[in-house]
Amino acid sequence: MRGFDFVAPSTVQAAIKAAKGKKYKFIAGGTNFMPDLRHDHTGETKLVIDLMRIKSLKGISSAKGTIKLGGLTTATDLINSKIIAQEAPILTAMAAKFAGPIIRNRATVSGNIIDGGPAADMVPPLLALKASVKLTGPKGNRTVTLDKFLTGYRKTDIKPGEIITEVTFPAPGKGHLHGYYKLARRNAMAITVVGAAVILKMKGSTCQEAGIALGSVSPTPVRCLEAEKLLKGKEITLALAQEAAEACATIATPIDDIRASAEYRKLMCEVLPRRLICQAAGISIDPS
Amino acid sequence: MAAAKKAKKKSVKKSSARKKTAKKKVAKKKIIKKKVPKKKTAKKKAVKKKAVKKAVKKKTAKKKASSAPRASASTLPLKQAISFTVNGAKVETDAYAHTSLLYLLRDLGFTEVKNGCEAGDCGACTILLDGVAMNACCALGVQADGQAITTVKGIGTVDNLHPIQEKFIELGGIQCGFCTPGMIVAAKSLLDENPKPTREEIKVGISGNLCRCTGYVKIIDSIEAAANEMASK
Repeated sequence: MRGFDFVAPSTVQAAIKAAKGKKYKFIAGGTNFMPDLRHDHTGETKLVIDLMRIKSLKGISSAKGTIKLGGLTTATDLINSKIIAQEAPILTAMAAKFAGPIIRNRATVSGNIIDGGPAADMVPPLLALKASVKLTGPKGNRTVTLDKFLTGYRKTDIKPGEIITEVTFPAPGKGHLHGYYKLARRNAMAITVVGAAVILKMKGSTCQEAGIALGSVSPTPVRCLEAEKLLKGKEITLALAQEAAEACATIATPIDDIRASAEYRKLMCEVLPRRLICQAAGISIDPS
Repeated sequence: MAAAKKAKKKSVKKSSARKKTAKKKVAKKKIIKKKVPKKKTAKKKAVKKKAVKKAVKKKTAKKKASSAPRASASTLPLKQAISFTVNGAKVETDAYAHTSLLYLLRDLGFTEVKNGCEAGDCGACTILLDGVAMNACCALGVQADGQAITTVKGIGTVDNLHPIQEKFIELGGIQCGFCTPGMIVAAKSLLDENPKPTREEIKVGISGNLCRCTGYVKIIDSIEAAANEMASK
């Protein structure tokens, strides 16, 4: 690693301007950037731009049925937010399992998304919530759905100079059901083996709309569109949950690594969604 | 010094080898006489060699010294002037942008901030930045510009211990002590937010701090006792 310059602008526009024509890197909490820096011997980055001083990127708000997370929303912010606890408790559940309390104080939503890792824990619940990212860059603003934004292993559809300013999602509404499970080797500071997020918008016992996403089982966290279709407009039963869970497993392309085998992960891609759907809908998993 | 000793040893070996060949030709008494001057010459040679080596070393050292600053000046951007407070005292310093806050603090003498993993995994470097617990290894030093840092020494000193520190000592919460500075800062952060945590909440609160002695039960006992004591005051 060789040296780089550093600036800490206080507005988004100043940050975009600073990045122009440079080999730059935007950083926020630094919880991904700093460990990576130790292994970066390329010296490619010539300028590091700290976004932590941009106040407009902070805060969680709710308006007209849309929840907005500022790009610098930390996992701790998600845990402490009353809006999130009421409107999207799946994010509270996820944040409580995210790394450890000290990392949670620094790790941001935008950082977790832009890192593009398959095991990014914030991403599956946001995919299940059908979130979009709002980007601001030299050419103005644009909004992309999160599943389209993640294009591959550590790859995103970010253009030069762009910053994730907001992550938005439609509030799933009162009475929606959710389930989140982080399967990992430890209770804290763990990298996810399989992460599963389920959102069910219900009318009585009928599922009006479903959102299901898996993490750590493919190059990026993925939405299980087929399973979502299967659940839509139907009464949730164990048999339907099983069918949806099998659909989830078909899109998973897990790999072997030090944490688990691909075979085990593939199996869990079926087990976890079934369990979460049944638990959320109050169905006994025991078929007898 | 080590080099000199080695040289001596070598010369002794050489002389002993000569002795063996000499033994075959000449009588024993004569060899004993010869021993002394031979050793001396060997030593002198060794000394000469050392002197030459030293001179060579000096030359190369000079070359390195003269070339190093030029190289770094061309590849490294200038240091930035920053200031922050550590435990209430103002610190003004110059820092390279790529220096982590952990390294910066330790280089400034705040070695109570421990270097464990440098990857945000172990929590040994836990500090409070503007009152929020964080890993010093996961931030650049320049990011702390204008902010208030609290280390374990800012929570309590040897003369004036914080109840958390008292209880760690009293109840055996410290084994090797390496995780303790980070552990106490994490505990302080936990008790600031939740003055009366359950044991389960304490476990979660220190879940970002690893204790390699695995003395977690006593650490949890200590934090629980400290919370009780602070509540009773």
